[in-house]
Amino acid sequence: MKAVIRTKNLSKWYGNVLGLSDVSLEIEAGVTGLLGPNGAGKSTFLKLLTGQLKPSIGQVMIRDQNIWNNFPLFMRIGFCPEQDAFYEEMTGWEFLTRLLSLFAFSAEEVKAKAERALDFVELSKDKDRLIRGYSRGMRQRLKVAQAVAHDPEIIILDEPLNGLDPLGKRKVIQLIKEYKDAGKTVIVSSHVLPEIEALTRSIILLHQGKILAQGDIHYIRDLIDAHPHMISVACSDPRALAAHLVGEPSVLNIQFGPAPNAVVFETRNRDVFFSLLPRLIVEQAIDVEEITSPDDNLQAVFDYLVGK
Amino acid sequence: MTMTRNAVHSIFSFFFSIGRKARKTRVFFLIAGLPVVAALIIRVNQLFSPGTPVEGPEIFSNVIMAFNLQFLILVLALFYGTSVCSEELEGKTLTYLTTRPVAKSAIILGKYAASGVLLVLMVTASVILSFLILNIDRLFDFAAWTAMLKGLSVLALGLLCYMAFFTLIGTFLKKSILFGLFFSFGWENVVQYFPGSTQKFTIMHYLKSLLPAASTGSTGKLSFLLFRLEPSSAGAARATLLLLTAAFLGLACLVFSKKEYIFED
Amino acid sequence: MPISEQGYSHWQGTFVERRWPWWPITRLGIRLAFKRKFFKFIFSVALGPAMLFSAGVYVSERLEDFQSMLRGPSRFLEVNPAYFKSYFTNEPMLFMMVIVLVLAGAGLICDDLKYNSLQLYFSRPLRKRDYFFGKMFTLFFFLFLMTLIPGLLFVLLKIIFAGSFKFLAEYPWLPLSVIAFSILITLFFAFYTLLISSLSKNRRYVSILLFLVYVFSDMFFGIFYGIFHNPYFSLLSIRGNILQVGAFFFRVKAPFSVPWIYSFLVLAAFCVVSGLVLKKKIRGVEVIK
Repeated sequence: MKAVIRTKNLSKWYGNVLGLSDVSLEIEAGVTGLLGPNGAGKSTFLKLLTGQLKPSIGQVMIRDQNIWNNFPLFMRIGFCPEQDAFYEEMTGWEFLTRLLSLFAFSAEEVKAKAERALDFVELSKDKDRLIRGYSRGMRQRLKVAQAVAHDPEIIILDEPLNGLDPLGKRKVIQLIKEYKDAGKTVIVSSHVLPEIEALTRSIILLHQGKILAQGDIHYIRDLIDAHPHMISVACSDPRALAAHLVGEPSVLNIQFGPAPNAVVFETRNRDVFFSLLPRLIVEQAIDVEEITSPDDNLQAVFDYLVGK
Repeated sequence: MTMTRNAVHSIFSFFFSIGRKARKTRVFFLIAGLPVVAALIIRVNQLFSPGTPVEGPEIFSNVIMAFNLQFLILVLALFYGTSVCSEELEGKTLTYLTTRPVAKSAIILGKYAASGVLLVLMVTASVILSFLILNIDRLFDFAAWTAMLKGLSVLALGLLCYMAFFTLIGTFLKKSILFGLFFSFGWENVVQYFPGSTQKFTIMHYLKSLLPAASTGSTGKLSFLLFRLEPSSAGAARATLLLLTAAFLGLACLVFSKKEYIFED
Repeated sequence: MPISEQGYSHWQGTFVERRWPWWPITRLGIRLAFKRKFFKFIFSVALGPAMLFSAGVYVSERLEDFQSMLRGPSRFLEVNPAYFKSYFTNEPMLFMMVIVLVLAGAGLICDDLKYNSLQLYFSRPLRKRDYFFGKMFTLFFFLFLMTLIPGLLFVLLKIIFAGSFKFLAEYPWLPLSVIAFSILITLFFAFYTLLISSLSKNRRYVSILLFLVYVFSDMFFGIFYGIFHNPYFSLLSIRGNILQVGAFFFRVKAPFSVPWIYSFLVLAAFCVVSGLVLKKKIRGVEVIK
């Protein structure tokens, strides 16, 4: 698949402070999660992608065009910024329609797109209220609405779930998935890892301005050979299960707990372990309640890579 | 070119509609109305004490117009001119504009135009009302109307020129208001009284060169404002002001397009 | 304790009596002012008149060493109450005071309104008056450095350079006048700044207004006085009122034939009105009490 967004040796300094260091990557269509703790460089990266900042070194190419000062490209890009800032004296409707009019749509198109966007983020009832009177969640939804109203091909969302209630979050996650199914490119940044996990498996991990990892979450996890996989089994007789597996070369470590009926195995070879486990369960007639991988998630991947 | 013109128009509509309803516009309208209040007080006083030494038309041309020229348009242009860029930065709303398919220069020009129209309307209303109040007994004096309209055009030109300058300042200086205050009430107020060519380094010099009182050589009681003025010709003054306006705006567009703006957290 | 709302709640506990509860706010205001770029430069320029007048005190005692100064009238460098009045009410000094207020004072309440910090303040054991005094004394710090301190310094320098207390014997009331007048104009300008700062969340707008009101008041006085020659129009001008009151305090001839008490009342009324407006503006907004 051809890359939609490409960066080459992208670096950004703020005076003596390094914001982003030598980021070279390609982003294809679909949803890509941009992850990292506060200060990792996520916002800097997104601002460079959207032409808000000029790279100190390197370049950002969107559809093979340099983004810096290339305003026609913004017909195809929608950006939801992190900061909570609006023209407070406007109503939601005015805000959206005025911004849409900058796309040179006809009046009817502007109206239709604005209505659709407000309808989607469930702000239609409050569209004639001043933004000054909106709640935090409403403001966040309006920000998302202005990013998607013109139906862009590339959507960049900087912390879009901030301030949203669980229903609001689900709505936005649903929207992002719809965009993915429509073949669009979505980049979502967050420091809340479970939110990203709900959206995509394709991630870019940033830390201290550098890329730590890029790709599929599970693939990255597998690559981390230094840290064995953990598999937790909750069953009727954890000690019996442990006794049978303790002699296996692929099992590195066994720990009981935290629940009284749980045992956690550490293994470098998940495939071998998972080929053993079902056979053992059936042969020994052990009642298994649950099998989970506590560290097969983004938080664990991140913690391993950052070296916690 | 058509795309840029449309973008400027869209930005103009966007910000004219915000500016029209903004609270600060109402406040500045009131401030621009202070000369009208002064004119009213003067007129009411004249009605009750007819022996007032200065006539209404003279007060209008030498006091009200001088006040507008030397102070009001400076203050209005300073605030609105620096707001073109600074307001978006401080409010962190710049992102919404720079992530739209509009040229950055269109943003500057559109906002400038929106503020310019608002300010010209403010000043026009103030000047016309003051004129009507102070010239109520000679409303059919064609010469007075002509002089008023000439003065108004000078004010409008001055407003636009100062606004363009402050727009440029606002694109690259963080403390644009402070610089603007020192420029307006320091440099412009002082250097214009320097002899020779030095005074040509102020915008005020060219505005005063266009004042009717300057060209007819009249020396009214309050003509101290013209003391030491060595005026340029009207044509040269007009051309210089237009050129300066275009140059400042052009530079502002250039700076705004090239510079990156980082929001303060 | 019931959960009133999400976010900050007004302090429900008891107020423990402490010395100077306003001090942390004042200290922060001063620190923030000095952190602003160019403030140190502007403030040192603002202290220029004080340094100039201090030099004048020295020169007045060494007139025979400055032959060229004697060419003019000997009263040129006579350090007397008029000298003090000139210092406190000279136009560049007042202009620089306004500039310092714009830099150090424009954001005092305006920024708190913009960032909704009032809730933060009042969720601590802080009364409205502590907040108010904290902001007020930030301005007092800078204004006293331009008024009270230099004024008393001139008296001290005069005594030191003269080598005797003759000056003080001649004008024993002068130090009190310096203190009283400094407090008066500091109080006025502090109320003036805080009032305008509380009117908007936009710092630039407040900065312009601070300057505008001061300049326009003087200009309108100039216009009406020029036309009607009625000295009572001086009551419109902030500077005019300060000149009148200053003339009374330093026992010199007033510039306008208007009773000084009228000017004093105008300044006092402004302070009272400002206080009432500030009382309304400074509240823990959106807080359920």
